[in-house]
Amino acid sequence: MLTTPKYKVQICCGTMCYIMGGAELHLLIEALPAQLKDKVSIEGIPCFGKCDTNEKLHPCVLINGAELNNASTQKIIKQLLTLDNNDLL
Amino acid sequence: MTYYNNAVITKRELLVRLIKLLNNDTLLDEIDRIPLQMRPRTNSPIRCCVHKDRAVLKYKIMALLGFNIADEEDELTPLREYAEQALKGYTQNGNFLTVVDEACSSCVQVNYTVSNLCQGCEGRPCQVNCPKDAIMVINGKANIDHQKCVNCGICQKACPFHAIAYLPVPCEESCPVKAIRKNADGIEEINFDKCIHCGKCMTACPFGAISEKSQILNLFYNIKHQKEKTVAMVAPAILSQFKASAKQILSSIESIGFDAVIEVAEGANMTTDHETSELLERLEEGAPFMTTSCCPSYVQFSEKHAPELKPFISHTPSPMAYTAQLAKERYPEHKAVFIGPCLAKRSEAYQHPNIDYVITTEELGALFAALKIDLETVSPNAGISDNVRPESRGYAASGGVTNAIRSVLSAGLQISTELIDGIDKKSIRLLKALPAKKQHTTAFYEVMACDGGCINGPVNVSPLKVSQTKLKNAIREIEPAEALNE
Repeated sequence: MLTTPKYKVQICCGTMCYIMGGAELHLLIEALPAQLKDKVSIEGIPCFGKCDTNEKLHPCVLINGAELNNASTQKIIKQLLTLDNNDLL
Repeated sequence: MTYYNNAVITKRELLVRLIKLLNNDTLLDEIDRIPLQMRPRTNSPIRCCVHKDRAVLKYKIMALLGFNIADEEDELTPLREYAEQALKGYTQNGNFLTVVDEACSSCVQVNYTVSNLCQGCEGRPCQVNCPKDAIMVINGKANIDHQKCVNCGICQKACPFHAIAYLPVPCEESCPVKAIRKNADGIEEINFDKCIHCGKCMTACPFGAISEKSQILNLFYNIKHQKEKTVAMVAPAILSQFKASAKQILSSIESIGFDAVIEVAEGANMTTDHETSELLERLEEGAPFMTTSCCPSYVQFSEKHAPELKPFISHTPSPMAYTAQLAKERYPEHKAVFIGPCLAKRSEAYQHPNIDYVITTEELGALFAALKIDLETVSPNAGISDNVRPESRGYAASGGVTNAIRSVLSAGLQISTELIDGIDKKSIRLLKALPAKKQHTTAFYEVMACDGGCINGPVNVSPLKVSQTKLKNAIREIEPAEALNE
């Protein structure tokens, strides 16, 4: 890989997020479009407390530090593409 | 395994909410509020109206409390009453699935439908070839009369425009043994003379209308109030299901309140040894082949659908049965709780005198979530038995039993093996043909009802690919030296 990843995706691995759909997100790497393949790093992180609320935010993901709630693989990709398309540098 | 969907999430949310209430000692007071909290008036309804949505949740809760929904006598019975009974324990009848009739949308009454691709052609082969005269052309488009149609499919084959589509009923389509059919009202019914508890209908239904009858509340109540001592028997597949190390998973299970934890892989050691010597004995006596016996869904399949296979199935008890024996020896006073990814184990355990409860991966996950047990931060101090062979943990994935047996065969001994990975219509034909087959090139068949093995069980939480990697890691983590030598 020539470039360092521009986008950091952090997937909450707390049990609540994990059983409420978070487990699926760990297959994200396989679903990334070619345009994003080398630009994204993916890691699991411990629970950051979003499941405490009654609002059903799980599963939660951070993209470059910004929260994405009720995450799905497609939602993450859409957000990454938006970031990437707006990035003109 | 199905695609992850909202019906699965609803079930898990119900489990988490129930366990949370029970943990706060407010179950009886608040259980009847759960449907209202989960489906508030302000949300747009999933079905016709919010009241229907709430009724569906009520019956899903009834199933999770362990009741058969068809047994309801009075529709006004509040969930509180069912919960009271469930906490005291209830009698089981050996059937572990129940149809939530309120949720069953009696979808797809007729399997064929004419799409708007219909050109209303002059030839009308659909109409002239229909043996039941079920097709009428209205406004230049073919229509199928649901009263007359017998789902023969001739119209679909006859249409040159491919305008007629086949619509499956998901549960019926997924059932390998035709055990689920619509009743006179169009609601699905399970025939337990045929059902092998594979769980495929449950994961297939997009309305979540098929539910298992759970024991989780009764068990957790007894653990929490220390009514009885418990020993958890953890299936190897569980080690593949959570984002934590194997030791952390086992320690987390202990921290729920179990008095002891045994890995079912310990019983798998014994299954491997006995099954290997049984196989060699049988082959020496001239038997053409033998199949595994550890998958309870396969064993039920042979009992209900292929009795001619029965003599060829190993008599060796399953790893769960051996583990229950170990548990009885070590902790004679404790209630034995099997924790696994399998629905059919409920029915195997029901027939086994030494196993008192079965809980699933999903239910275990809900326990962790409700009790806020964060697996990654739990210190991994649960005792891991040294005498578990890594191959025994490998039982959880397809090919694992074969691999374990090969590992104990004396050097130079060759046995031809075959894997039957998933019980479906195709593999059923193959299995049924085995006893009558003249020439046998395979001596040992490993049969798994779920394709991929137990790590792809119907009540798991991780997708298969993630589970496969995690199982390998778990085996390596516990037995570093031996796994690296492979």
